[in-house]
Amino acid sequence: MSTAPDEVLVRIRGLRFLRGSRVIFDGVDMDIPRGKVTAIMGPSGTGKTTLLKLIGGQLRPDAGTVEVDGQDVHKLSTDALYALRMRMGMLFQSGALLTDLSVFDNVAFPLREHTGLTESMIRKLVLLKLEAVGLRGARELMPAELSGGMARRVALARAVALDPMMIMYDEPFTGQDPISMGVLVKLIRQLNDAARLTSVMVSHDVAEAGSIADHVYILSGGKVVDQGLAADLAQHGSDWTRQFLKGSPDGPVPFHYQARPLVDDLLERTA
Amino acid sequence: MIRVLASLGRAGIGAVGGVGRAGVLLVAMFAGLWELLKRPLLLVEQVYSVGTLTMVIIAVSGLFVGMALGLQGFYILSQFGAEATLGVMVSASLVRELGPVLTALLFAGRAGSALTAEIGLMKATEQLAGLEMMAVNPIRRVLTPRLLAGVIALPLLAALFSALGVLGGWYVGVGLLGVDDGTFWAQMQAKVDWYDDVINGLIKAAVFGFACTWIAVYQGYDCVPTSEGVSRATTRTVVHSALAVLGLNVVLTALMFGN
Ligand SMILES: Nc1ncnc2c1ncn2[C@@H]1O[C@H](COP(=O)(O)OP(=O)(O)O)[C@@H](O)[C@H]1O
Ligand SMILES: [Mg+2]
Repeated sequence: MSTAPDEVLVRIRGLRFLRGSRVIFDGVDMDIPRGKVTAIMGPSGTGKTTLLKLIGGQLRPDAGTVEVDGQDVHKLSTDALYALRMRMGMLFQSGALLTDLSVFDNVAFPLREHTGLTESMIRKLVLLKLEAVGLRGARELMPAELSGGMARRVALARAVALDPMMIMYDEPFTGQDPISMGVLVKLIRQLNDAARLTSVMVSHDVAEAGSIADHVYILSGGKVVDQGLAADLAQHGSDWTRQFLKGSPDGPVPFHYQARPLVDDLLERTA
Repeated sequence: MIRVLASLGRAGIGAVGGVGRAGVLLVAMFAGLWELLKRPLLLVEQVYSVGTLTMVIIAVSGLFVGMALGLQGFYILSQFGAEATLGVMVSASLVRELGPVLTALLFAGRAGSALTAEIGLMKATEQLAGLEMMAVNPIRRVLTPRLLAGVIALPLLAALFSALGVLGGWYVGVGLLGVDDGTFWAQMQAKVDWYDDVINGLIKAAVFGFACTWIAVYQGYDCVPTSEGVSRATTRTVVHSALAVLGLNVVLTALMFGN
């Protein structure tokens, strides 16, 4: 990569992480450029969500470092980590809205917790954020009354409420119908460019993620197997990468979980 | 044999680990008390929510228990011609023992289990993780106010239970069985001590409130974040709370009324 050091917002070096005795990451290096949309792709279960939690300081690596804006996330004091998190938005897969608060109060929540703004200021900010995701009219609804796509957009409004420097999206496209998918793709791009955010998106939705990403990392088996500009990878990536991006079942990526031959399983007598 | 020992050992290690994690959580919750002082509204909200959940069931139960006490007391005391002391018997047993203990048991079943389910679901739906990523400490923001609310609410509820229990006993004794009204109250006033009986009973209730709420929030916070995990945690809250209350009650009774 040709980015200058200060162009890198998130720098990951030699990251190693285990769940029990299972190795999830083994020596991952990444540079996430400032102001760009970076997509991190990989098959389900490779640890994409885990990676976001490591960046956000919710999990500790077994080895290696994660630096965000020059600060080593896992060496920070609790107060400093919380201060850093105010500048990082995260969009959870489920939205993670607070179920006992209305849409309005959910978006207002971080503002009320962290700023001394008056209620009338907060009201204006919340309405602006909701307008940006097209849900100003839904502000009185409770989370249980929202569709999955709407919930995710509310969560997005909440994630940008404090005007963070970066935002992390966990599988923003799964379970979305084509229309809300299109809306989300646009929104993510718009937010990134208008608010000069840095966006990190993990996804197994190759087409959508690839269509808005500037830079792509591909994870598999605990390692970065390929990286580069989104457009280049589909053309010049490794066999593995091209198979993954095209979604073909044949090739070096196995579709089946490791098992003994089917015949053996079928012929086995139950004792 | 080895297997039995091994599983016993594993259960033992699990229990010790659980107590350890509950202790760590308690320290973390205490760290949030200072912030809570600056935002008393969070506490008021929780006391209100616990109160609305439990007030009716506790009032009704208090009344019924008091009436049963009145009946039993009358039959026993009248054998010795001592039915004039019915008021003392009913009120002393309520404020010292039955009020705090039964209130705590009802509280665990109604409010404690609801608390565990609420926090467990917040964990399962990533709301707690979401709070963390919004730079809000979920232990201090969600758990601390609920713990303190339990400690405050239980003595109030126990007082309500005892008050209605006395009324129930009075109705049965004086209203139905013909004990003299004046003696009923006069004996009660003379023999039930404000400090020894009432205050000690309220202290008991506060201790039970602390134990039950601590168990409830710990079970919710520590649960396996699936629907099955939440339902198991809810059951554990009720069972562990009941055992804790009954066990603590023996210890507290021995300490307070032992001499
Ligand atoms: N809380 C957890 N405890 C144990 N294992 C977990 C936990 N969360 C995730 N895992 C495991 O870690 C691996 C990576 O999970 P995850 O990061 O959610 O994958 P992805 O988001 O790429 O689908 C999975 O194999 C999963 O089974
Ligand atoms: Mg995931």
